[in-house]
Amino acid sequence: MLDSDDIGRRRREPAKRAARDEIDMNDRGPVRMKPPKFDYHAPDTVREAVAVLADVGDSAVVLSGGQSLIPMLNLRLARPTDVVDLGAIDGLANLEPVDGGLEIGAMVTHRQMETNDLVASITPLAQHAAGFIGHRAIRNRGTIGGSIAHADPAAEWPAVLLALDGTITLASAETTRTVPGDQFFEALFTTAKRPDELITSVYLSGRFQNSWGFSEFQRRTGDFATVAVAVGCVIATGAVVEARIALAGVAERPVRCPDAEQALIGTRPGRAVDAAIAARDSFEPVGDCHGSTEFRKRLVFAETKRAVTQALGPDLESRANA
Amino acid sequence: MVESQARRFFGSRVSRIEDDRLLRGRGRYVADIELPRELAAKFVRSYEAHASVAEIELGDAVEAEGVHAVFTGADFADSEIRCVSSYEGFQVSAQPILALDRVRFAGEALAMVIADDEYLAEDAAEMVFADLAPLPVVLDLDAALASDAEVLHDGWTDNAYVRRAVKTDGFDKAAAGAPHRLTIDLRNARHGAIPMENRACVADYDRGSNRFTLHTTTQVPHLIRAGLALAMDVPESQIRVIAPDVGGGFGVKAQLYTEEVACCLAARELGRPIKWVEDRREHFVASHHSREHRHRVTGYFDDLGRILALEADIRVDMGAYSVFPWTATMDNGMAMGILPGPYKIREYSATGTPVCTNKTPYGAYRGVARPAACFSIERLIDQIARHRGLDRAEVRRRNLLGADDYPWHSPSGLVYDSGSLAESLESVLQLGEYDVLLTEQAEARAQGRLFGIGLVAFTEQTAHTHQEFKQRGVPIVFGYETAKVRLDASGTAVVSASIHDHGQGLETTLAQIAADRLGLDLDKVRVEYGDTNQVAYGAGTFASRSAVLAGGAVTRAADDVAATLKEVAAHELEAAVEDMVIERGRLSVRGSPVVSIDISELCRLTYQRPERLPEGIEPSLESSRTYDAAPGTGAYTNAAHLSTVEIDPMTGKTAVLTYAIVEDCGPMINPMIVEGQIFGGVAQGIGTALFEEFLYDENGQPQSLTFSDYLIPTSTDVPDFAVAHLETPSPFTIGGIKGMGEGGAIAPGAVIASAIEDALSHLGETVVTDLPLTPERVLTHIDQAIAQGEGQ
Repeated sequence: MLDSDDIGRRRREPAKRAARDEIDMNDRGPVRMKPPKFDYHAPDTVREAVAVLADVGDSAVVLSGGQSLIPMLNLRLARPTDVVDLGAIDGLANLEPVDGGLEIGAMVTHRQMETNDLVASITPLAQHAAGFIGHRAIRNRGTIGGSIAHADPAAEWPAVLLALDGTITLASAETTRTVPGDQFFEALFTTAKRPDELITSVYLSGRFQNSWGFSEFQRRTGDFATVAVAVGCVIATGAVVEARIALAGVAERPVRCPDAEQALIGTRPGRAVDAAIAARDSFEPVGDCHGSTEFRKRLVFAETKRAVTQALGPDLESRANA
Repeated sequence: MVESQARRFFGSRVSRIEDDRLLRGRGRYVADIELPRELAAKFVRSYEAHASVAEIELGDAVEAEGVHAVFTGADFADSEIRCVSSYEGFQVSAQPILALDRVRFAGEALAMVIADDEYLAEDAAEMVFADLAPLPVVLDLDAALASDAEVLHDGWTDNAYVRRAVKTDGFDKAAAGAPHRLTIDLRNARHGAIPMENRACVADYDRGSNRFTLHTTTQVPHLIRAGLALAMDVPESQIRVIAPDVGGGFGVKAQLYTEEVACCLAARELGRPIKWVEDRREHFVASHHSREHRHRVTGYFDDLGRILALEADIRVDMGAYSVFPWTATMDNGMAMGILPGPYKIREYSATGTPVCTNKTPYGAYRGVARPAACFSIERLIDQIARHRGLDRAEVRRRNLLGADDYPWHSPSGLVYDSGSLAESLESVLQLGEYDVLLTEQAEARAQGRLFGIGLVAFTEQTAHTHQEFKQRGVPIVFGYETAKVRLDASGTAVVSASIHDHGQGLETTLAQIAADRLGLDLDKVRVEYGDTNQVAYGAGTFASRSAVLAGGAVTRAADDVAATLKEVAAHELEAAVEDMVIERGRLSVRGSPVVSIDISELCRLTYQRPERLPEGIEPSLESSRTYDAAPGTGAYTNAAHLSTVEIDPMTGKTAVLTYAIVEDCGPMINPMIVEGQIFGGVAQGIGTALFEEFLYDENGQPQSLTFSDYLIPTSTDVPDFAVAHLETPSPFTIGGIKGMGEGGAIAPGAVIASAIEDALSHLGETVVTDLPLTPERVLTHIDQAIAQGEGQ
């Protein structure tokens, strides 16, 4: 019996080559496909990719793992003129320890984040959160850069990025720049990334590796989060000296909750409940078929309490409670 | 009378013959069929739930790349789907093939684009603009019945398809004399079957012979032929319907759809085959919905919790049109009939109203009305238990029919043939370790956890034939099924049947029966189905009837063929016909097994050496027979389910921890297949209980258009099952077989509701009445229970 990871590895490489050498959709005459018509680009390098984006960026989309984009294309909700496929570019899937944190290539898959030892040791919150993303088939293809660029407010990576004080590195034909996560997510599916830019990597800080928490409410295993909460703390001599609490699914973008973060600072007892109340009272999540605003506020309370309890650890929180 | 014959395969867990093909990806589905010169169809669908059609502007669609034609309602106005119930006062709806002057649900087809391939058709379909003038929408079934509601069909007096009532003579007296009464209102959400394969069809028209061939995803090929003949006014002999491998049906593929008619008409118009493959987004709006029942149920009972009389008002939201062949009264009829369930209830009064609304039309789904009926009666029994301070199992014991009560003439006119209700209940309490669970529950509560136990007993009406369908008022009364058995010259049996196998394992179970009757190995039997040219008539696969009815027909036909074999063999062996024994590929003389002849040799003789046949025997080893299990109200399988749940007190999320089933479907042809059917049914029922709902906004816009918004249970939501069987044969059917294809899906809503209510019962009282039990709804119950508990 083959482990499914082995199957994934064996198949990934040939598929990637095929993308470059054999599939040149623009030269094949009429193309039968479910999405609206678009021009397809498969650049070999980041330089080529950003050159294409400089040319057509305004109405182009970038195809990474395709786990959100392909369904949107097939439902004809996305109607780009051009699709720029990153599948043939080497060097975008590296994981590298830098300055105590982790530099993560944009094409690193969720599954790599879930299974990689560096991720587990330097950013254990990210490793833990990765397991909540979709199902394994989705995690095998979906990428961290793709998720962050897509900026679904209910997705895990944007919230994790905020909780771990992350940054995003963007390349364009002219320049490369790094944007702090706190300034990156602007609105629903909208980020500080310009149309001519490509996310090449993200950086997550390693300073929260000893005190972190993540809790998510999913209707079913693998569903998008109704609410997810990521917590990163720095503890010095028994006291919380820095706290970052980020939430997914509560607003039109991933957000931090300063009031809840403030509630964690120090050594007072009952901080998990205080933070949970603060978080609940900070947001008015929009209701939909998966639950009303009132229901979502209760989830914010529950998941914040759980994530904070995990971050502080049972000893710290129960001692403080005692 | 069916002769006894040694059972070699009947009752054994043989592997499914069809799985070799299906699991290796060698199945052949409708979308796999490619006919020469075929074109693709795409439908333009209404974005309004209720509107008058001002104009359909074809725009550039007609001239778009690859487009051959664009049809609108006027092109097909000579055809319609009209399914008229024989109930007095039934108001008739006529569903156009493409909308004419008015659309009545979001998703109703307005135009049909034909192009070289489905993607070009989809591109062109986007260029069609329908100018629709919105009309007031009618979405809620109770609002639809209000006196000021917009009436949805011309000439109707209100939005009730029909209003029906049944009442036993002694009801009023029994109800008036009962010491206690309890009323509950119950709601089941609109949801559907959601097979893995969406619908698809390929229509071909031969101008030379004026004949249609429709390849389509259906469970009921002969009924589709009948429906097409009516809709297009063409003789049935001019229509051949082929249903190849079908990737799940569960009822949603047991109706005639407008798309099937449209593809046939377009094929005739253009003289080229027309293929249409539904996508999932279309499926959510264009394939029939189900399950949306509201019941008000009143139980009249004594101090011991025994029900003296039962009263029910049943309303079902049947959507915009009456569907063929069931009409719009199917669910109401079934619910009114089966609601008293497995209990010894003599006095009964029920009213029923199928309601027309601006929603997708409503068809069959595994269990048809029985999940809602089971939910109502079982919720009532639980409330009676609480009212009397009794254990839920004990109240059921006091009300269940006993072994001596059969045949039971139910107050709704059904005849229950046999069963083991009390034994099933006791067995499931043992299998599920009820006593242990009660201890576990006490421990869980001490830890602040919400742990509940649900218990349900039910009877599953199966294999109902003419009496049941006559009672339901359908225009075509479904009774018998047909099977043809033929031995070829090589000694191989071909069984052709009017039923259709789309997951039920009938290719295996019918082969098991035929192999036993003909003394053959399983690999010498092939089962064919899904082609109206194979057997003359029949209904198809639905209502848990196929094993019983096709099984009976196969038994009869195979016995005919075996009788001929015996004649030929007796002549050849110079022995008496009545001394012939057919077994393991040979016919031998009773008591002298060495005097024998191979079946394959007999087959060769029969076809190829006619001079050696006994006088009066024709060179034919073929028989076509039908079977209609008298008296036609069905064979009654019964079961008891016991499940445990744990609820997250902070979020209301419910996990199903354990699930035990004791089922009695009579003698099992193949216990492995029986269990597979039960497990699949329970998994779907967990969807009913916890997840599934087609939601609409206030304008009638469907909100559940992807699997992100319409949730079905996945493997992580379904627990492992414990299952045990009892086998009480039916006195009514050949082999004593009962159906069981739907039972699994009937009980879970009631079981899980019972478990959730039980998990909260120590906090305070709350009555669980609405499905699905979403986390938000469960949180509301937790709040109610706590508030009620604190108020005391």
